[in-house]
Amino acid sequence: MADHSVEITEGCRLPVLRRNQENEDEWPLAEILSVKDISGRKLYYVHYVDFNKRLDEWVTPDRLDIKKLQFPKKEAKTPMKNGLSGSRPSSPERDVKRKAESVSLATQVTAATPVPSLPASTEASQAALYTAIRDASFNIKSREEHEPLTSLTTNGTTSIQRHLIPPQPGRKRKNCGGTDEMVKVFQNNSPRCSTVYLLPGEDSQDSSDGIPSAPRMTGSLVSDRSHDDIVTRMKNIGCIELGRHRLKPWYFSPYPQELTSLPIIYLCEFCLKYLKSLKCLQRHLTKCNLRHPPGNEIYRKGTISFFEIDGRKNKAYSQNLCLLAKCFLDHKTLYYDTDPFLFYVMTEYDPKGFHIVGYFSKEKESTEDYNVACILTLPPYQRRGYGKLLIEFSYELSKVEGKTGTPEKPLSDLGLLSYRSYWSQTILEILMDLKSENGERPQITINEISEITSIKKEDVISTLQYLNLINYYKGQYILTLSEDIVEGHECAMQKRHLRIDPKCLHFTPKDWSKRGKW
Amino acid sequence: MSKLSFRARALDAAKPLPIYRNKDLPDLTDCVSINRAVPQMPTGMEKEEESEHHLQRAISAQQVFREKKESMVIPVPEAESNITYYDRLYKGEFRIPKQLIHIQPLGLDNELPDYDMDSEDETLLNRLNRKMELKPVQFETMMDRLEKASTNQLVTLQEAKLLLNEDDYLLKSVYDYWVRKRKNCRGPSLIPQIKQEKRDGSTNSDAYVAFRRRTEKMQTRKNRKNDEASYEKMLKLRREFSRTISILEMIKKREKSKRELLHLTLEVFEKRYQIGDFTGEILNEVTVPLAEKTVYPAPISLPISSRHKTENKIKSHKIGPKHLHPFPVKPEPHFDFVRSHKKYNKRPKLDTFRQTGWPERIQTINKADIKQYDFHSSGEEDYPLSPASEPDEENDPDGVFAFRRKAGCSYHAPVVDQSCSPHWQQTGQDQLWQRNCLTALSVPRRCIAVACRRVGRGGRVVLDRTSSDLDHSLGHLDPDMLYPSAGSCVPDLPVHTNTNSHVSQRSLTQLLGDIQACRWKFFRPRPLQDNSRAEDKKGTPPVEKGGGTTLSNSVSGGFTEEQFQSHQQQLVHMHKQLQQQELQQNSTAAEAHLHLHTLDSAGAHFAASAVINTPNNENRPQIASVNGVLPNSGSFRQVKVNRSAPSGGGGAGGESGSLVRSPQLAVPQSLPHGHGHLSTVSAVSPAHTHHTARLCAPSPSALKLASVASSLDRVPKVTPTSAIDIARENHEPERLALNGLSETTVAMEVT
Repeated sequence: MADHSVEITEGCRLPVLRRNQENEDEWPLAEILSVKDISGRKLYYVHYVDFNKRLDEWVTPDRLDIKKLQFPKKEAKTPMKNGLSGSRPSSPERDVKRKAESVSLATQVTAATPVPSLPASTEASQAALYTAIRDASFNIKSREEHEPLTSLTTNGTTSIQRHLIPPQPGRKRKNCGGTDEMVKVFQNNSPRCSTVYLLPGEDSQDSSDGIPSAPRMTGSLVSDRSHDDIVTRMKNIGCIELGRHRLKPWYFSPYPQELTSLPIIYLCEFCLKYLKSLKCLQRHLTKCNLRHPPGNEIYRKGTISFFEIDGRKNKAYSQNLCLLAKCFLDHKTLYYDTDPFLFYVMTEYDPKGFHIVGYFSKEKESTEDYNVACILTLPPYQRRGYGKLLIEFSYELSKVEGKTGTPEKPLSDLGLLSYRSYWSQTILEILMDLKSENGERPQITINEISEITSIKKEDVISTLQYLNLINYYKGQYILTLSEDIVEGHECAMQKRHLRIDPKCLHFTPKDWSKRGKW
Repeated sequence: MSKLSFRARALDAAKPLPIYRNKDLPDLTDCVSINRAVPQMPTGMEKEEESEHHLQRAISAQQVFREKKESMVIPVPEAESNITYYDRLYKGEFRIPKQLIHIQPLGLDNELPDYDMDSEDETLLNRLNRKMELKPVQFETMMDRLEKASTNQLVTLQEAKLLLNEDDYLLKSVYDYWVRKRKNCRGPSLIPQIKQEKRDGSTNSDAYVAFRRRTEKMQTRKNRKNDEASYEKMLKLRREFSRTISILEMIKKREKSKRELLHLTLEVFEKRYQIGDFTGEILNEVTVPLAEKTVYPAPISLPISSRHKTENKIKSHKIGPKHLHPFPVKPEPHFDFVRSHKKYNKRPKLDTFRQTGWPERIQTINKADIKQYDFHSSGEEDYPLSPASEPDEENDPDGVFAFRRKAGCSYHAPVVDQSCSPHWQQTGQDQLWQRNCLTALSVPRRCIAVACRRVGRGGRVVLDRTSSDLDHSLGHLDPDMLYPSAGSCVPDLPVHTNTNSHVSQRSLTQLLGDIQACRWKFFRPRPLQDNSRAEDKKGTPPVEKGGGTTLSNSVSGGFTEEQFQSHQQQLVHMHKQLQQQELQQNSTAAEAHLHLHTLDSAGAHFAASAVINTPNNENRPQIASVNGVLPNSGSFRQVKVNRSAPSGGGGAGGESGSLVRSPQLAVPQSLPHGHGHLSTVSAVSPAHTHHTARLCAPSPSALKLASVASSLDRVPKVTPTSAIDIARENHEPERLALNGLSETTVAMEVT
């Protein structure tokens, strides 16, 4: 099928045969990210446009529809290593998309600001408004007046935060910081605009001279997309064997490079050490006597346990865990050490030991009310309620701490679905349980919901919104519960067997701020 | 609609929201249009991903059905969960503890190699295992060390030797294998490791570099400085620790060779016994140059074994004088007296230390406490040696001609007769004759009349022959005397069979008779009597202590303090009697000499009782025979005493007249056996002050005594000669102890 007279290079787009969940053949548009030659036979690494990266794969030429091949646009040739313009090879479609994205970002920025001075962005001309807002915010930033913007959440914060970090010594560093910002801008805007937002004293040369900025040190492992170069865009590990399971990684993970060429990396199920062969694993197991994660068990009910691991005290395990998790988490980076994190590993017990099911990490001190940094249910355990259990546990911890919390952004698609589902169920549970007092209609404030559940206020609002519960009626906001919501909720709750029992939690929060270091 | 013209107020999180069911609000549809007044919250997702096909499908599906349908699930790459060999891989079961698991953060390091053998390694291992036994973990440890010691540059073979400390063949094969493997290895290390950041920042964008240090987290300059300083310190500490490790490694090596030497020495003994070289002549011929070599250049090492050697040599010379009859001899050379005083100052001290030291010693041995028991193994023994000698040098009356120590040399101080005698049972009798005694050479079995023995510098034994009127009669003494003497001298030679027992028994009694007969003839300088008496008293306690500890060690109960005291009283009584006797006989010389004798026999009594007690407590059948035999074998007892309390003050005191003054520290060294130990100890334990070193010093002899007692149990028939056997067997426990020691040393090194 493939026409070998045409050179298919990186950046080309063409339909690629793919079998969907219903086992039907589809020809979604895909982008060639890499080409390799194995004994004269070419293999193409394709990313299906508008599909998650985890579905990217190596395909044989016969799955490519050469006839509809689109060559890459001239400006964006092959992806460049420095992760700038090349990281997301643009195409006409892409550019359009970018605009749309920018708009939504703008909306978001506005929306996230609970200041009425930036209202109803959607009503204005999108492009114009967008530009205005960007300009405004960046002008402010370049003047280093953070205050008006600190109330921004999520994406907006990321760039601002960087500025809040005291300038680092040395010009290079400084430039890096700036570059970083620039990159951010670049990414979120059309390339044409990028120079506009460069900070004084910086030029585009800086950004491409091979000293990319380091991700910010505060917060957590949020990946800076500017580092999303071609290496990290591609899965590098074929298969991971962990206990009874063989896992197909979804994303790049910085396991030692020499292991990435192996068909399978073997992990010790309990200490998560990576080994190159089964024989090595066998040998390792004669020396490794762990049968549970090497931390303190802080929760046990039935076969489910949670272990708390200090990223500073137990570096080896924490790093191994991160490496494994990175295989399934796209937006996290393992750029920095694990010191400022605690890892909560959920296990399921059987006579062989405590098998890892999933985990979440958490900053010891979060400046942004994050109660979860990364969260993952290992693929073999997915879609069985464990994710929600992990989330529930994270909020139980927040309850003990007496804080509200929110997961660190960005969320992945699965993360969003899981959290939304958890939030919905949790909030609906409260709303439906409310009894009317002295004949009046039951009522509740958003703050109260937040306090009861430890879910951050913004998340409560977004959930209520998402569920379409908030309505404006006769001069005030009300919450309305529709039949299908009530039914759906009751149905879902019946299926939710796995719950966290707060009585089984033995957890004393530590005040990390009082310790010198984490 | 006009309603839309007003702008809805922002949603107030603090304001109560009434909850309605849809059915309660038929006119709700009117409100929908102003919903957007509530700010749309971000999803928190990356924008480009938010629009992803599967997510959108899932979200819309959720909104429609309020629940995910199977087909609306976001697809993920598959995972299998059917590893068939799982149960074989993860063997055994883990029982869930009742309590929540609590882990000690530091308990995780168990020093196992990070390197894991692969199948290629296994092939090599199997090949190596044809020639030797090599456990996988051993192999992994070797590889691990090689790996960790080499950075970009491979460890050289020389370094590897230091690092691994394995025998050459194994080392070479593993090293070569490792080098080959390492060269073929694609990664930077055979132990796969996460790439580390480089400080120059060149790895900032390397996707494979992970877990960089958050240096900037330590915000202020000041803090960072501190951090750097402490980092520097840590580095230094690390360097020093690794140095310590290599030192320990070397110590381990040294101890190994020490042990080997000891074994060889023992072997030599055994061989000597087999060829009947009881007099040591053969050995002497063969080893004289060698022995000296070992003594001199090795100040640190081989204290025991080298002492063994000298001791052998000395003994071989000593052997002659076994049956010593008192002969009139010329007074001692003057210089001897000059020093004697000093020496005596020292002795009592030693003795008292010995007393207190013994029990301690034995306990420590039991505990296998290396620190205490380290007298053979610690490498610092050379250190205390030199400082200790200084005071002596200062006081040295020899002026310009004084003997000056050279740093790093281990000198054997002159051994005076008395110092020889206490340690060697057969020479026990020498004490009777003090300085001069009947001397016989053992290899050409011949009596060489009366002679004075001393040990020259370097451990040479010099016989100063003295002419006496008995010279002539000595000729015919030989045959009779030599037999028993041979018997009694054997103790440190292996195996004296029971056949000899008769002879020796007879000869022993005979000896006694001789002694009795000859007592008056013995000359002894007067002035030293006091000293010797003092010695006498002080000398005995160690014996008791030794005995007591021996007993308490080997058996529960045993020789008690009361027993000892009564024994001492007896001693005193005997002394008095003897002194009276002497006085009556108007022989001044004899008195002192007698003293000695009594002391020895008293000590022997004591030792005997200790020995007897041991089997008693263990209900051994030999008791009777021991009891029966011992009383009438005076010389044997002496022998015993000398063995059991080798450096006992009594012995020393007895020699007082002829003492050559030697530097205080050197004294113990010069003494053949027990003192050999002693000196080792004092030389060894650098951690202690000099005093404590002394304190611990006597323990080896205590050990000896203990071993005598315990070995007695094992001797089927206890006859006088069994003492000899005992002495022979002495070596066994000692060796064991030493083995134990070297083992513990190794253990220490490992940790």
